[in-house]
Amino acid sequence: MTRIKRDSIAYLVIVGFCVLMLVWGIPTYTPDYPGYGASPALVPNVSVGVILFMACLSLLRIGIAAFMNKPIPDEESSFPEDMEEGAGFTQIGRVKLQHLASTMIPCVLLVVAIEYIAYIFVSFVFLMIFQYVIGNRNWGQSILVSVILTATLYIVMRYGFGVPVPGPQLF
Amino acid sequence: MDMIIAGLLDSLSPTSLMFVFTGVLIGVLIGAIPGINGPMAIALFIPVTYYMSALTAIGFLVGLNKGAFFGGAVSAVLLRTPGTPEAAATSWDGYPLTQQGKGEKALRMALYSSVAGDFISTVVLIAIAAPLAAIALFMGPAEIFALISLALTVIAGIGTNSICRGLMAAGFGILIGLVGTEPVTALPRLTFDIYQLGGGLSLIPLAIGLLAFSEILLQLEKFTVKGGGKHKIHEPSPKLEDRMLTLKEFFASTKTLLRGSLIGIGVGAMPGLGAPVASFMSYDQAMKRSKHKEEFGKGRLEGIGASESANSAVVASSMIPLFVLGIPGNLAVAMLMGAFMIHGMQPGPLMFQENAQLMYGIYGSLLIASLFLLIIGKFGLRYFCKAVNIPAMILYPIVVFTCIMGSYLGQSSMFDVGVMLAFGFIGYFMRKFDYSYVAFLIGFILAPEWERALQQVVIISEFDTYMFFQRPVAMLLMALTFFVIARTFWVGISANRKKKLEQESASEQAKNG
Repeated sequence: MTRIKRDSIAYLVIVGFCVLMLVWGIPTYTPDYPGYGASPALVPNVSVGVILFMACLSLLRIGIAAFMNKPIPDEESSFPEDMEEGAGFTQIGRVKLQHLASTMIPCVLLVVAIEYIAYIFVSFVFLMIFQYVIGNRNWGQSILVSVILTATLYIVMRYGFGVPVPGPQLF
Repeated sequence: MDMIIAGLLDSLSPTSLMFVFTGVLIGVLIGAIPGINGPMAIALFIPVTYYMSALTAIGFLVGLNKGAFFGGAVSAVLLRTPGTPEAAATSWDGYPLTQQGKGEKALRMALYSSVAGDFISTVVLIAIAAPLAAIALFMGPAEIFALISLALTVIAGIGTNSICRGLMAAGFGILIGLVGTEPVTALPRLTFDIYQLGGGLSLIPLAIGLLAFSEILLQLEKFTVKGGGKHKIHEPSPKLEDRMLTLKEFFASTKTLLRGSLIGIGVGAMPGLGAPVASFMSYDQAMKRSKHKEEFGKGRLEGIGASESANSAVVASSMIPLFVLGIPGNLAVAMLMGAFMIHGMQPGPLMFQENAQLMYGIYGSLLIASLFLLIIGKFGLRYFCKAVNIPAMILYPIVVFTCIMGSYLGQSSMFDVGVMLAFGFIGYFMRKFDYSYVAFLIGFILAPEWERALQQVVIISEFDTYMFFQRPVAMLLMALTFFVIARTFWVGISANRKKKLEQESASEQAKNG
């Protein structure tokens, strides 16, 4: 995928989001005008309008360049050294998406599980899984890091700040 | 006068001293770890300050920021891996010295230059912030609205190659900042019937997600997908003169340090430029004015002094727009602004009237943090060098778990942890696709103030759209806003044309032979 294609897709997604907000999001979830001051919808509309204008402007620029068959000079990539083979200018290939998912999923599961299962148990399991995902196969080190980190944050939160840990305490 | 003495005495209380000391210590340690910078450290540690007094909290965070700025030089000098972008110029002369076994000497030069730049800048901040704030008090809502518009436009250019994407990010930040209770009607707005959004999105989980979690996602990706390498450690020279910095060597760079400090102060006081600009500018000036230009980049102490004095001077001077106008000039100050707001203060010129004692206490803490940086750096330098080698396998789980629990700590809510994860995810794509997360975050922070100013303008003027034309300062600021946008577009177009011409001439040359 080229940079222009990547940016075009991103701009189209942004245009879609802006249209959705202008047509449905802002009118539905903004209070009615109270009769004085500026309308509560004014600033949201202005900010979405700016985003929409900029996205359309960028799309137009790409469109004109394509129509006139003029290539837009490549901008420098933010992470040129980081490009995965085949990922092109998206800088996100299949491997990186898989990695992103494997990092995010344990975190999301932790958020859901911690409401129902004890903090100490869930945190320990989460840290073990997380270390496995990032490639730590030294089980002794993994267990040590998980136990120390879980216990330290438990003590700091409970006795240092007096904040109850999320979910059930022990079981 | 009583306020000044009381404020300074507050900053000398044992609790305040202890937390400033701890802040500097943690900051240097964190800054020394490649990939963790000052704003990220502040985001991670703000939740800890919920339970401190305002002065202690701000003192701790300021110490953390100052420490992290110097800490960035440790990995830059020893590994040529700058812990922070502003330390990049430090590595140009620092690393060659490390290769010669003089790493400790280079770090001592970095430390003393940092402390010098930071101290001079703090004195300037103390001298000019209050008088400027007194002038700023004459600004009305129209001027404030115009000023925030200008700041957002200038900041939109940071961290991206495209002003369009910068403005989109700032607009998105403003939109997210408007979620919650609408100020005039006191009714929920853009909450999508999610009751947790009634009070708006909290800054801390959002900032932790955007600054720390997304950064860790990227670093983990580099580490696991591309494989993490081990750093090459250079053995220090056994000779004492190669490790210690003499007074003669330090004072040989006095002019450079003063020039670097002044550049840092000037750059820091202008919103949007930041420490890397100051550091590169100062290095460039030092090289141009030196009699030994050829030695720069090969291990010249003056080069380290130029870079470090300038980037450390930015720390205090970047608070000038915050204290005078209530506008954060860079990410670290945006996070400090968040900390002020958490402790019930609205940064801006009124702080000198409403919280005068606290402000002088903060000034005291700023000066004390400089002193602590000198002491901690002088005696702990060898130990901080070990921080650069903390294994990633241990570091990343600690940072990720701290992100999660830090987000929970503020309101004891797992919803905030969800917000952190969501913005970590968004931040990951923003960084990849070159959308400025700095503009987003500053847009988010300034959105309520921007809207409040607009509401006041509309109510006072009774929908008179000519109000801006009756206020010359507001009109000037709005004109500047449009000028900045037009100029940025023009510069972008010119750069593209120049590049295209270069490409065409290069391809013609290739064709011709």
